[in-house]
Amino acid sequence: MSLAMKVPAVGESITEVTISQWLKKDGDIVEMDEVICELESDKATFELTAEAAGKLIVKAEEGDTLEIGAVICEIDDSAAPKKDEPKEEKTEKTESKPEATGEVHEMKVPAVGESITEVTISSWMKNDGDVVALDEPIAEIESDKATFELTAEVAGKLQILAKEGDTLEIGAPICKIEVMEGVSASDAPSSSSSSEEKSSADSTSSDSYAAGHPSPAAAKILSEKGIDPSDVKGTGKDGRITKEDAEAAQKQTTQKTASESQPASTDSSERGQRREKMTSLRKTISKRLVSVKNETAMLTTFNEVNMKPIMDIRSKYKEKFKEKYEVGLGFMSFFTKACCIALQEWPAVNGQIDDEEMVYSDYCDVSIAVSTPRGLVVPVIRNAEKLSFEGIEKEIIRLATRARDGKLSIDEMQGGTFTITNGGIFGSMLSTPIINAPQSAILGMHNIVQRPIAENGEVVIRPVMYLALSYDHRIIDGRESVSFLVRVKELLEDPTRLLIGI
Amino acid sequence: MSYDVTVIGSGPGGYVAAIRCAQLGLKTAIIEKYDTLGGTCLNVGCIPSKALLDSTEHFHNAETTFKEHGININKPKADLGQMIKRKDGVVKATCDGIDYLMKKNKIDVFHGVGSFRDKNTIIVDGKKKEEIETDKVIIATGSKPSSLPFIKIDKKRVITSTEALKLKEIPKHMIIIGGGVIGMELGSVYARLGSKITVVEFLDSIIPTMDKTMGKELQKATKKLGFEFLLSHKVYEVKTSAKEVVVKAESTKGEKVEVKGDYCLVSIGRRAYTDGLGLDKVGIPTDKAGRVEVNDHLQTNVPNIYAIGDVIKGAMLAHKAEEEGTLVAESIVGQKPHINYLLIPGVVYTWPEVASVGYTEEQLKEDGRAYKTGSFPYKALGRARASMDIDGLVKVLADKNTDEILGMHIIGARAADMIAAGVTAMEYRASAEDVARMSHAHPTYMEAVKEACLAATENRPIHI
Repeated sequence: MSLAMKVPAVGESITEVTISQWLKKDGDIVEMDEVICELESDKATFELTAEAAGKLIVKAEEGDTLEIGAVICEIDDSAAPKKDEPKEEKTEKTESKPEATGEVHEMKVPAVGESITEVTISSWMKNDGDVVALDEPIAEIESDKATFELTAEVAGKLQILAKEGDTLEIGAPICKIEVMEGVSASDAPSSSSSSEEKSSADSTSSDSYAAGHPSPAAAKILSEKGIDPSDVKGTGKDGRITKEDAEAAQKQTTQKTASESQPASTDSSERGQRREKMTSLRKTISKRLVSVKNETAMLTTFNEVNMKPIMDIRSKYKEKFKEKYEVGLGFMSFFTKACCIALQEWPAVNGQIDDEEMVYSDYCDVSIAVSTPRGLVVPVIRNAEKLSFEGIEKEIIRLATRARDGKLSIDEMQGGTFTITNGGIFGSMLSTPIINAPQSAILGMHNIVQRPIAENGEVVIRPVMYLALSYDHRIIDGRESVSFLVRVKELLEDPTRLLIGI
Repeated sequence: MSYDVTVIGSGPGGYVAAIRCAQLGLKTAIIEKYDTLGGTCLNVGCIPSKALLDSTEHFHNAETTFKEHGININKPKADLGQMIKRKDGVVKATCDGIDYLMKKNKIDVFHGVGSFRDKNTIIVDGKKKEEIETDKVIIATGSKPSSLPFIKIDKKRVITSTEALKLKEIPKHMIIIGGGVIGMELGSVYARLGSKITVVEFLDSIIPTMDKTMGKELQKATKKLGFEFLLSHKVYEVKTSAKEVVVKAESTKGEKVEVKGDYCLVSIGRRAYTDGLGLDKVGIPTDKAGRVEVNDHLQTNVPNIYAIGDVIKGAMLAHKAEEEGTLVAESIVGQKPHINYLLIPGVVYTWPEVASVGYTEEQLKEDGRAYKTGSFPYKALGRARASMDIDGLVKVLADKNTDEILGMHIIGARAADMIAAGVTAMEYRASAEDVARMSHAHPTYMEAVKEACLAATENRPIHI
């Protein structure tokens, strides 16, 4: 039978969405909960997941604008994939056996985010010597901000260089992969489905033939969730999968879809162009940026900050802070705190123009720019002036995680009074950020670089960050903006001031 | 009228499908050709045969074991008319129960022959002609007794199971063509009442689809009742006169035999029944055996039309049809149920009863599977001796390496009820030792299952 899928209600006040991209084609066999389509409202982008497994019958084209509740596609579940039916993609890939090319690729700790200098390996998802597929998650990495999965940069045989629990600096080698050709995800045994590995890695689960066998009710639940029983750890006798196990089981996140959805890279010897439709998120961003440029009197003031004091505090208290609050002590809490104090001293920077009036807020709702695969989003830390360092760090992690997962609600992105953006994570030395309208000012953070500076008449090397404050001159005078930025600099270079309010 | 689902046929497959559909919130109609709901199973199959089997078993006990139990009565006299009347009462009560269930679940019942006009329209030809618009259709039209081309079923001397359930007299000599479940059950009814029974079976064993041990044991037990067997005999002629039936058969060795009796029961199987359904109107094909072809989701080539039970492939069992009815109903609303056909038990309601689930020993041999066997006889059970039901055994087949139970075969008192334990164990892929280590109440017949599992585990039964 066919199941008609309708445009879900995605938020208050949103009445229609646009199909930005079909990730699956008409006639494709889709799994339950697999992401099949990207939808956009004027506020955000959403992923639409399949409500059943089966053959996809597309009912609306890319670019179509649909009302909430309109039928977007049908899924013919009579065509649901059968276990013994190898999927097309698999057969293509498995035709050739993996072959070593002799090349060894070294993977390094990637730059993972704002001001993160080191990460810890929380767990290896693959064993040394395993064959891994391109983009397959191989390890779980923890920074002081968040946990994320490290995916294989090439396909091949894994050589682990760093152990679980090791702390590594950004750029440090983490593993090597002996490059092999023709490795597909199906070749690479996942640690959860390989019974051999399971028995060696997990001595408690016996090697009973019945391990992983779902009870009749569990089998039905798993089938409906689209979960392969081999991905579920059974807690029943000899590893049997109980109904409770099946109810608790969650589908492995559709990690692959992101990479699969990317357009195939063209051969480097060919010259080519690619045209893509602007997503409505991108359209909204562009409209707003241009209107800010046109309708405000925007200019930027700069300053520089010696980061040594803050870095000293961090290295001194990092462990204790983490122990006490279970959250890392990052730079963002210092910057947010410093901005809040400065904003309250220079309220114009925290203000905004509303038609013929000027609005001043006595609270600081600080928007934090977060880069996500879909584009820039700016979730808001509410009442940041009242939050402790710990409170700010936790809120940032919460918002960044939700942003990354595309789960931010519109409420969480609206109503900020001031914005902080950090181009430093991508290596920017200096930039002139654009105001996040209707706000009047935005602070740009940049990379921290060892620079020679003069201190007490001597040249010393210090970690330095340039700061930029773009502001709307219509509401903020030069004196206010410059004083604000100097104040932020003072508070950061002498963090004791944050404590005693001087 | 317009419905989400229309079920054609109200047997155990159809009415269960209808109830499950209604439970899932679908507007459901059910069509039945006969006046009473319940299909073959309730009207002329499982239920009435069990009613007669129980009555005649009591009669047989009164004749044979009461004295030993210390009950002295005059020689009992069988009143076939009363037995059949009681059976009709049981059937009526059960069918009324289905009427009640339809009302309770707000399922609309139509009496008449249902046939397709098109894939979404069903014509019901009953006292009046009605048309039903429907989104989905479930074909559950069941089966009819089948026969051989040269046999004329006159329903008087040459009869099917349907007539055998309402005979006016106790046959003197009933010749049964086909030693399957139906033949053995109805043969038992009349053997207990004093009829001479001759079973002519084409294959070399009775109840041939079951484990060979079961057939052998049942043959032994029914011989005591006065059954005679002509195995490996092919019937080639059935002649009737007013009072006599002559059945001619030839053995595989070419020896010809002639059996004379007053009744001949043809029980060589059943065939799928789709007469008048109008499958051609919607283009649904049937296979060589006349069965509706379906995919694994029991869907026909017309996606909104499903078929279940005897009308499709698989064992012709009420409980198989019920599972299929549930599966289709749940599939319609997008759930993903599954049926493990290997674990649908088979039961023969003779006395001793025969019940079986999983692989037979013959199947394991043929598959070349390494297996081990454990069996335990009823006569070593305290419970069996107490009730004088000492015929029978439990046979457990387990994987030689993993000890996983691969089949359970029981012949003996209450086997039909006991087999559920085997199904449960096998659904969870229990090993023989798993069952052997579970406490079984004493004294019960189920202890034989535990002991057989002990025997299968490492040949260490306690009580033998």
